[in-house]
Amino acid sequence: MSLTVNDRVRAIATFRFIEVRLMEITAAWTPTTAEMEVKVLFGRHIFDFAQHADWLGKRTFELRKPEQYSLKPAESYVDVIEALAAEEETGKRLSALYDVFIPALESRYRAYVDATDRLLDEPSVVIVERILIDLERMKRDAQRLRERIAVVAVPLPELARRESAHSAIVAPQG
Amino acid sequence: MTTPQLDPKLFAEGPKRDSRFDVRDLWAEMQNFDASDPRLINEFLHRQMNEEINGMEISARNLADFPDAPWELRMSMARQCWDESRHIEAFRGCFERRGVEVGEYPVMNFQYRVITNIPSLIGRLAVQNRSFEAAGIDAIQNEVSEAARREGRTDLDELFDGQLADEVQHVRYANVWVKKLMELGGAAAVFQMTKAVSLANEALKIIAGDAATMYPVAEDVRREAGFTEDEIDVAKRLVAQGTG
Repeated sequence: MSLTVNDRVRAIATFRFIEVRLMEITAAWTPTTAEMEVKVLFGRHIFDFAQHADWLGKRTFELRKPEQYSLKPAESYVDVIEALAAEEETGKRLSALYDVFIPALESRYRAYVDATDRLLDEPSVVIVERILIDLERMKRDAQRLRERIAVVAVPLPELARRESAHSAIVAPQG
Repeated sequence: MTTPQLDPKLFAEGPKRDSRFDVRDLWAEMQNFDASDPRLINEFLHRQMNEEINGMEISARNLADFPDAPWELRMSMARQCWDESRHIEAFRGCFERRGVEVGEYPVMNFQYRVITNIPSLIGRLAVQNRSFEAAGIDAIQNEVSEAARREGRTDLDELFDGQLADEVQHVRYANVWVKKLMELGGAAAVFQMTKAVSLANEALKIIAGDAATMYPVAEDVRREAGFTEDEIDVAKRLVAQGTG
């Protein structure tokens, strides 16, 4: 059985919530990160996250919810996002976002594409595939920057464990 | 250099800078070269890069501080972050081609400190985008007009040309949204905006003293950016008072 329209909009709106939070988190980090080149990286990627949220938010309207509708993920997953937001050191911020969170988000987007009906839900699939191209570029940007300014990747096994502990992130329907 | 701490009623805490930067508080503490000094252009480009960093940081803070702002406005602020990030790299490229390194001259973060001290989004947009950036488009238009009179096109002419197009959008969206936020917020919003402008004026006097540079009002560009004829007349009168 494929996803219903209600399943689809709940997933898309959850992804939108995450993209908006990533926009806000990188925005909050921009003035509070000392290294100029890292600020510039965040400044560029703020708009990538905003565009992803915007595309997803237009799709929620087509799936019979309001335009730019967001759905808060499962509460324990919101805690993981807030743990990401709380990172203060530059190397940890870069690793948390580009080594842990974005790869995990990519996996969740791919799982959505695998689960949905590629024909009936093609407008969502096209949006998600465009986002995946962006996320790949954003990871490359971060990796090149780390090589250029010699910021080493910081292993964050606890954050990765907490993220991957969630097989599903869409909040249960109340 | 030790200076008295700036009044926290007028100035928020500054943004972080890495160890290459020497951050000063007042215009008089900066390296202000004479017009005949060949270092003038290099210092200007370096100072301008840091102002673009301030612009990006302010827009980023607006996104972080006002999560309930209308989505269309948040998109414009996110777009501004991207634009300013490209301007930062463009100014850096211009001064590095002239043999200058990041951190070679002192910088000031007064824009960030003045704007993020303002508690309302309407106030921040009124001061940053409709005032600071509008004055910026006057200055850039002045440079673009000068360039048009010269033969050939330098890297700076190309930078100013591209930058002006972006800055017009930043001023324009603020003009649109300040009016919408006033409609939505009524008298309280007007009060917030007026208070913000008053605080910013007071803060700027402390930072710049009598040293603020004013350029002729770029009437056509301001019109393109959404200013009304009345607002352009007010700007012209202020410049006439400031330069008279």
